[in-house]
Amino acid sequence: MSDDGGHRADHTWSPRVVAFVCNWCTYTGADLAGTSRLKMDPNVRVIKLPCSSRVNPLFIIKAFERGADGVIVSGCHTGDCHFSTGNYHARRRFAILHDLLQFMGVEEDRVTFAWVSASEGNKWQQVVNETTARVQLLGPCGMLPGAKGGAE
Amino acid sequence: MKPLQELAHKLLSEGTVKVVIGYEEGPRGVRPAFITDAAQAEKLIFDIRCVQNLAAYLNPRRTQVAQLGKAAVVVKGCDARAVAGLIREKQIDRDGVVVIAVRCGGVLQNPETDTVLTSETVSARCGGCAVREPSLHDYMVGELPAEPPVNPQRAEQIAALERMSPAERWNFWDEQLSRCIRCHACREACPMCFCLKCTAEKSQPQWIDSSATLQANRAWQTMRVLHQAGRCVDCLECERACPEHIPLGLLARYVADAVERRFDYVASDDPSVPAPFGVYRADDEEEFIR
Amino acid sequence: MTQRFLSHQELASLVAELLAAKTRVIAPVRAKDDPEQVEYQPIQSLEDAALGVRIPRRSLKEFFLPPTEVLLHYRQTKTGVEIREVATVAPPQVILGALPCDAAGVAAVDKVMNWDYRDELWFGRREATTIVSFLCSLMDATCFCTAVGLGPESSTGSDVLLAPVTGGYLAHLVTPKGEALLQAHGSEASEATLAAAEAAQREARQKVEQNLAAIPAEFAGWLASNFDNPVWKTIALRCHGCGGCAALCPTCHCFDIVDEHESADEGVRRRNWDSCQTALFTLHASGHNPRQSQSERFRQRIQHKFSIYPSRFGEILCSGCGRCSRNCPGGMDLPTIVGELVAMAQAKPEAGGQ
Repeated sequence: MSDDGGHRADHTWSPRVVAFVCNWCTYTGADLAGTSRLKMDPNVRVIKLPCSSRVNPLFIIKAFERGADGVIVSGCHTGDCHFSTGNYHARRRFAILHDLLQFMGVEEDRVTFAWVSASEGNKWQQVVNETTARVQLLGPCGMLPGAKGGAE
Repeated sequence: MKPLQELAHKLLSEGTVKVVIGYEEGPRGVRPAFITDAAQAEKLIFDIRCVQNLAAYLNPRRTQVAQLGKAAVVVKGCDARAVAGLIREKQIDRDGVVVIAVRCGGVLQNPETDTVLTSETVSARCGGCAVREPSLHDYMVGELPAEPPVNPQRAEQIAALERMSPAERWNFWDEQLSRCIRCHACREACPMCFCLKCTAEKSQPQWIDSSATLQANRAWQTMRVLHQAGRCVDCLECERACPEHIPLGLLARYVADAVERRFDYVASDDPSVPAPFGVYRADDEEEFIR
Repeated sequence: MTQRFLSHQELASLVAELLAAKTRVIAPVRAKDDPEQVEYQPIQSLEDAALGVRIPRRSLKEFFLPPTEVLLHYRQTKTGVEIREVATVAPPQVILGALPCDAAGVAAVDKVMNWDYRDELWFGRREATTIVSFLCSLMDATCFCTAVGLGPESSTGSDVLLAPVTGGYLAHLVTPKGEALLQAHGSEASEATLAAAEAAQREARQKVEQNLAAIPAEFAGWLASNFDNPVWKTIALRCHGCGGCAALCPTCHCFDIVDEHESADEGVRRRNWDSCQTALFTLHASGHNPRQSQSERFRQRIQHKFSIYPSRFGEILCSGCGRCSRNCPGGMDLPTIVGELVAMAQAKPEAGGQ
């Protein structure tokens, strides 16, 4: 594993994971996980959006470029979208993004797509912990300026 | 190509169109022609060296062409798909263009050096072509040649990349994209890149740094090919324009294949077929979603 | 300008000495992604070099003005902004096997880089670099160096020009830097060597001259008074405005300056290659664009290179290398276009506007 360019405060490297979640299902589910005092790795920074379809693939690319080692994208289960069809459109976009990122050499485990409903606090805990564990194994992502391959 | 020349002559002398965009002999091989005078229609040719996608000149950003007036455009089947894409996305009106389709048997990968069409010299995108007589046309000219040979080169390159580990693939693209100088020639030459303000040029906020650093280059190429998903017709204008000879066609082909595999959609020559990201199916694949 | 004979062996030992002294040596090499193509890259030994094989696909520009470079680092502190500039002194390097057009291109840009402001980064690299050109034998139908006042035997911008002869090269030591490079190498050139080199030079020159006649001095003035000539509306119809020409051109040097945050309080200021062929180049914040269509933008390219730069600096901003035309996806061919415009200028020298 390589040096992450000085972004760690302590002596062991811990991944930085950004989660783009929809307000209605996943954010509420994450909230439930919190109020239920479920133990979760602290590595995930949550960004709340109105719907999974608001997630522009650029957000994910930008997150990696700005220091994220892993990304979670999560919304309502299909059929349950607060805006009825948002997640159907999002699903198509994410499918191609998922395939392309792998083709470009980003490990599949770095980006986790999930449907987490408002009542699935346990599932959110699982997604967070499993993603963090998988990204921990992969090491830092190389897209920061100054990281592997960064040009001066 | 007599029928083409006669048709162009007719369209121009009757005033149906103000310009016929086609192919002509240039100082270094075939080049796009803009015939505005019926007497010049005899310059129009069509042969295996005609690789350019002339639909690019219908892109509304080519204002120097638009100001000539209503155009007729000579298209191969693949180019007709780009015209259909521009119509589908409301960049041009169907009535605003006359489409002259030419029956095609494939074009050369390197028209500057090769003269005969074989499985080694044919463009990798020609094999298995399903639009040799595109449904989008006002006129169709030429005899239907034999089916183009299949050049396996690009499919092999993609398969080789898929067999690599993620780290090897990452390094491959690092090497290729380290040459990118962010000139955006790929975007400018593309028929389907018609945005007046490209995402890469937005500065408030700035999504993609404009400097040619490796990470910004990756972000740019990833974003551009994503924006082309389902829209790219594999004409390879991007690759021909790239001054750094980056194999952009590999990315374009990979995404087109992914769109076809997942949504059973290929950039259609029928403008009424909806774009894949404007629609969905309840049973779209979601094996990658936890 | 003194001349000396340099054998193949002597060139090889010169290169070995330079590399041993940790001087970077750049030469044409076969491209990794396509061995049929050649590009200028650092070499580890003379064997790596692919001399006299093919016109390198890019010019020497990137060694003096990189596609992107950091100008300064900035950091916001509680009391203000800390600025850290980059070094302007560059490590020594030798470019071996430069095409005369590429060397001349670098020299042409020197003028604007030392105009209202001396560009320290450009000249830091210029001063650290010794350019050894080879008499060009790679010309094709798209070359036109002789038309712009240069030639395959041109030594403009070179410190040493090597003309291949039997057993080695006739070395023209063009500048003091060139003399310093070869002071310990080479021997007196014989009459036979001098004659052979001259014959080779003449032959090379003839090959290019047939591509495009020398551009007359009056062309610059004709361009200036034909800004509104209707020819501009049709001459660039096939141009996509991709800017590939500018990227490959040895003399195009326009750049954009941007600030990029790397974290909340730190960032860099960079300069990046830019091109007048893109719509964004002259787009005002108001939304107005004085060069609205590709017709105007292409006009600007020709005007700048063949009229404006010559009137300001006394030379054409083009070295006739032909890369713009070889790479153009739209089939724009500069020697043909310039030839057509020159013919217009010679037919009606006083014509202006309509």
